[in-house]
Amino acid sequence: MINRVVMEKMIYTIVFEKNNPGKLNALLSGIKTIDGERLYAVVFDEISSVVSDMNRVDLITDKSHAIAFAGVIEILEQHFALLPMRYGSMMESDLSIQKMLEKNYPEFRQNLLKVENRSEFGLKIYCDAKKLKKELGIKSEKETVQRPVSEIKSSVFREYVDKKLKEHRIEELLLSYVDSIIAEFTEVLARLNAVNKFKKMTTETNIIDAVFLLEKDKKGELVQAVEDLQCKHPGLNFTLTGPWPPYNFVDMTIK
Amino acid sequence: MYDNVIDQSKDITILELLDRVLNKGVILTGDLVISVADIDLVYVGVKLMLSSVETMEQLKSGKSVAEE
Repeated sequence: MINRVVMEKMIYTIVFEKNNPGKLNALLSGIKTIDGERLYAVVFDEISSVVSDMNRVDLITDKSHAIAFAGVIEILEQHFALLPMRYGSMMESDLSIQKMLEKNYPEFRQNLLKVENRSEFGLKIYCDAKKLKKELGIKSEKETVQRPVSEIKSSVFREYVDKKLKEHRIEELLLSYVDSIIAEFTEVLARLNAVNKFKKMTTETNIIDAVFLLEKDKKGELVQAVEDLQCKHPGLNFTLTGPWPPYNFVDMTIK
Repeated sequence: MYDNVIDQSKDITILELLDRVLNKGVILTGDLVISVADIDLVYVGVKLMLSSVETMEQLKSGKSVAEE
């Protein structure tokens, strides 16, 4: 009995070819794919979908496959505006891909114009939570007005309430401190005309998790601004990554 | 010391990359394919990978990520 291998199409990215017609095919021939199959483009008007043949059974999610997938997108991003597809996006045939491009063309084009000549960067800011809370606790105690001796009645209940109030006050101070750092960095990003998304306190140590979309030629200014902030806040650890293709700035779900 | 910094930096970059490749990008509903291999990621990566599998399972079953 012969098992027939059904090949489908793995989609890596949607590329805007408007300024570089013909250049895409020349580039694709030299790029290595996940499983050694050749890359090619399915074209509709000014946009192309970069695909390769893939046997569904062979699509395993491991580190090497994910890195190879990202590698294809990264090389193309140096030459074209593009929208990365999420890993694991497959369609049956070139014809179904072409229909999908046609159906979603206005939305693809709009998103491609939004990311054109821009790269994504990520900034995570970490702190030593225990140390920071201790420092904020000392600051809070200094600012707290001592109650008159007549009001201080030692009891288990009183101690419990005081402890909870102190914890709550420290949490408030921490959030206010994080907000002040966000405000400071938002000012920098506004100056660089960047689009940004922030998350606060994703873990106890990761106080800020930000991604932003920045014009490619402003990378040097961004690095300098982050270095300045790091010098100003030596107790925090700033981790800047990028440039990335605009993974976090494609708000599209297609059918 | 310098090697440690390089290794740490490489790990961070790979985690950031995997987070983007598996959790972000244009979503093609109804036809996401994923099988998880024996993944040799650092500890944090396992959590990340599980989150990605959950996300894809939700997408396959038609539940929006925003509903989480």
